[in-house]
Amino acid sequence: MSVAPVEVERPDLEEVARPDVPWVTIVWNDPVNLMSYVTYVFQTYFGYSKEKATKLMLDVHQEGRAVVSNGTREEMERDTQAMHEFGLWATFQKDD
Amino acid sequence: MGGTFGRARGGRVKVRLGRADCVVVAGLLEAVSGLLEPEAPAGGDAEQVAGGGEGASTSGPPADDEAALLAQLEADLIPPRPADPAVARLLPDASRDDPELAESFRRLTEPDLRERKRGALALAAAALRRPTPVVLDDSEAQALLKGLTDVRLVLAERLGIQTDEDAEFLHAAIAAGVGDADAAWSQAAGLYDVVTFLQEDLVHTLTP
Repeated sequence: MSVAPVEVERPDLEEVARPDVPWVTIVWNDPVNLMSYVTYVFQTYFGYSKEKATKLMLDVHQEGRAVVSNGTREEMERDTQAMHEFGLWATFQKDD
Repeated sequence: MGGTFGRARGGRVKVRLGRADCVVVAGLLEAVSGLLEPEAPAGGDAEQVAGGGEGASTSGPPADDEAALLAQLEADLIPPRPADPAVARLLPDASRDDPELAESFRRLTEPDLRERKRGALALAAAALRRPTPVVLDDSEAQALLKGLTDVRLVLAERLGIQTDEDAEFLHAAIAAGVGDADAAWSQAAGLYDVVTFLQEDLVHTLTP
């Protein structure tokens, strides 16, 4: 099973200047949320496979943060609020 | 030994807890819901809204005044970042390096997020206050899962858990018997431990 890449291709300057440059949602590590719960949230909310959800959870835990989704600003606002509803600390920003 | 939660027919979840334990958990959920009640506006300064200065005529507000009034109204509607760190963790900033982005997101979403969290907490608490044995439908089980998360986030804040090492220390302290810790801390630590156990068990029951 392929694990979708978390890292996107490094965009060149022209891409950065485009108005439709995608935004990203980032989930940050915290000392409270259980690894099993974070994986469950990634599986059920984003519909990710167990493998992908587990990899993202480990990225959050080990790297301190992980990009969990990308898309338009409106979509990332929606994902960020959903993560907050689940009790995960998420932020959104322009992908750079 | 089976867990506290178990799958029942039709996607429902059995809760193998006695009445007293259900009521304790319901009380925690309700306490967190209480923390999330909308905060009263900071000052009673509604009269300041007019403020057009001496030049303004009384024959209806010109466009400039309307703009100022709208700006003031908007400023009044920005929910301040919660003063209680536990509440701030439940309603976190959506940006760590762009205060304007965080503020506009909070203005757009915070009232709704409070409402959704309080709805889930109330739904889960009401289910646990039913006569035992409690059986949760899927929406109640999901609400309980989120609600237990919020309870753990609040208890962790009260216990001063800031890092993974703090959390490990807490678990080690509980495993060793909390010993000479002060009573309030011991009680909160004990609750945190129980709620953590319940949540881990519920996640495993619900995991597809």
